[in-house]
Amino acid sequence: MSEKPLTSDSQRGPLFADPRFWKRALSMLRPFLALAAVVLLFAVADQRFSEKPAFFTADNFTNVVSQTAIVAVAALGMTVIIIAGGIDLSAGTAIALAATVLAWCLKEDVATKLVAGDSVASATARLKSANDELGRVNKELKALGEKSPGNSVIAEKLLDLGNATHEVERREQRLASVKMVSQSWSKWTPTLAVLAALGCGCLCGFVNGALISVLRVVPFIVTLGTMQLFLGLAKQIASNSTVRPDRASQVPDWFSSLLSIRPETLWLKLPAGVWLTLLLAGLLAAGLHWTVFSRYVFALGSNEATARLCGINVRWNKIAVYTLSGLFVGIAGLYQFSRLTVGNPTSGTGLELKVISAVVIGGASLSGGRGSVLGTLLGALIMSVIGNGCTMLGLENPVQDMILGVIIVAAVTLDQFRQKAVGGRQ
Amino acid sequence: MTARFWTACLLLLAPLGCGDSQPPSLPGYVERPSGRVPMGMEVGGEAATPVDTIKFTFAVIPKGTTHEFWKSVHAGAENAAKELGDVKILWKGPLLENDRDGQISVVQDFVTKKVDGIILAPLDKQALVDAVKDAQAANIPVLIFDSALQDESLIVSYVATDNFKGGQLAAKRLSESLDGKGNVIVLRYNAGSESTEQREEGFLDELKARHPQIKVISSNEYAGTTPESSLDKATQVLTKHKDEVTGIFAVCEPNAAGVLKALEETGLVGKVKFVAFDPNKELIQGMADRNVNGIVLQDPVTMGYESVKRMAAHLRGEKVEKRIGTGEYVATPDNMTTPEMDKLLKPQQFE
Repeated sequence: MSEKPLTSDSQRGPLFADPRFWKRALSMLRPFLALAAVVLLFAVADQRFSEKPAFFTADNFTNVVSQTAIVAVAALGMTVIIIAGGIDLSAGTAIALAATVLAWCLKEDVATKLVAGDSVASATARLKSANDELGRVNKELKALGEKSPGNSVIAEKLLDLGNATHEVERREQRLASVKMVSQSWSKWTPTLAVLAALGCGCLCGFVNGALISVLRVVPFIVTLGTMQLFLGLAKQIASNSTVRPDRASQVPDWFSSLLSIRPETLWLKLPAGVWLTLLLAGLLAAGLHWTVFSRYVFALGSNEATARLCGINVRWNKIAVYTLSGLFVGIAGLYQFSRLTVGNPTSGTGLELKVISAVVIGGASLSGGRGSVLGTLLGALIMSVIGNGCTMLGLENPVQDMILGVIIVAAVTLDQFRQKAVGGRQ
Repeated sequence: MTARFWTACLLLLAPLGCGDSQPPSLPGYVERPSGRVPMGMEVGGEAATPVDTIKFTFAVIPKGTTHEFWKSVHAGAENAAKELGDVKILWKGPLLENDRDGQISVVQDFVTKKVDGIILAPLDKQALVDAVKDAQAANIPVLIFDSALQDESLIVSYVATDNFKGGQLAAKRLSESLDGKGNVIVLRYNAGSESTEQREEGFLDELKARHPQIKVISSNEYAGTTPESSLDKATQVLTKHKDEVTGIFAVCEPNAAGVLKALEETGLVGKVKFVAFDPNKELIQGMADRNVNGIVLQDPVTMGYESVKRMAAHLRGEKVEKRIGTGEYVATPDNMTTPEMDKLLKPQQFE
């Protein structure tokens, strides 16, 4: 962790004379410097080349920050994993899985379904098919009447008619009771759906952690597998399509305003989802400073064997790390749903690489033991600023891809320089 | 260490181009004696439109940028801009094909940039609704092309191929090549893609309604978004139904590219009648060799052209129809050399 208190240094005389102060200050400021450089470049270029410069405006700031939220919140969890010396390639598809689960819960009106065992929509559909059946039988009976066949045939048809009528009545009653339940329970569906998404994220993380520590397979391979697994699960839930809850009746407004940039949805100039991300980041940073668990996490990432010898329960701590990260994945799923208002199983593909890039640009070491919350947030921001800036300048996609690539390589190169200069872990 | 740090910083910044010190390094702009002109404004090597006559800037947002189809739309859009003279096109799609969230971000960026109009091919009929509402709230008109948006009240116009009809034409053509009877496979594209779903439905609907002797033996396999995934899936399906299959329909270009390969791999090429949707070089060659029996064609150049023209008309206060069809055609081995088919088979492409 780079933001350590400097008390031991400051006791040795003038602070600014100590070269180590400058080293630390520099390493702390590095992500800020990179962000400032990128922002400055785009701002200058935008001023010079655009007829209507719009990059360096308050509106665009809100815009970029809200676009960063999904990657940023998932990257918070990934930071913990990477500090602990792991990696999670399944984060992207797990985000899509959580979003799909959320969409499915909303669409199926899960609260009513749990209580009544059926949703209004499907009960209505069944009533309709019963009614269709009744209509068909009636028609057949009419056709028979014109032909005047034997009594036995007519009797049989009349029996069918009776059955069909009975079925319609039964279905009507059922629908009425489901509707009653729905009136008092439907309001819980959004809450349940959010809990399901968060739970789904945690479960994904738990599965990763459990497989990694029980099977003792490297995280890269395990999560490479679960990446496909979660993708498949999401497709299964979505019946190989997209889950579309009805915008007007099934998606509460606060869902879609979570990351919306419409002025009326903003709260203190920023979308609520951004504030939530910042709050979570604050909590996580505090946790990484002051809890015993965080010491275990850093110990695991620095040297697992030593950690084990020191008596740290490696197995359970790994599971805890991945499950914690899963919670952030669940929140990212909630964010993704709030942006898309549909659950699409494939919308997380490739997202894991953005998340990992954010953490790496933020100065974390892929060999474990180092990483910071602040760095990660800035890393995520740098990437979306590049994307936004390229659009503002009218630069094309190939250029944007290349710039992103160069920045990632540069960030990692800087990291190596620093490691050599300081001599391993700080 | 500090020296190294700054060297690395410089390395990091170098490719971004530092303002005026490296003038030509900013792609998207072209050097002119009179100064730097945004790309798209330099037409055919001459500065046809000086910057100060530009009245409208339109953002054109495709679903992706690597398909040939979009390059033709781009060409059409630039044609219209050139013709209008006072319109500038900003062409930008999501980085990854199929990235809904990325496309929303692009729309939001252009809303913040306050362009005069947004011309969008939505990756998802529902997911993009909010982004379009944002544009509307900022008084930026939105025109939709290629694929529909759920809420049509928000848009200026919808310029697209009738994909359902395209699917019906494919069914008709396949039935024609099979003399009205046989066992066919439909290889679907990707879950949740509106335009291809329409083609699939149109195809199945036409067969059911008017070609009763043609049996669909497989219609629930998804080929995925790349020619590679499509090759794998097509090979599996064709091998499974090797003994009975007599016809196959691939619903889009990457899909068809994979199917043609798979037909070659399984030795069924020429024996199984094959109808594709959207052309590419291999498919056209395949048709010349009579291994592809039909290609349903859209007109992407017209799509791009009409979209830009209608948006400009709307901004000038003219009335624009809500729905504009750009036509759908079938190329066959027999008509493929006619000039109009040739133009659709090898549409103009940007750059």
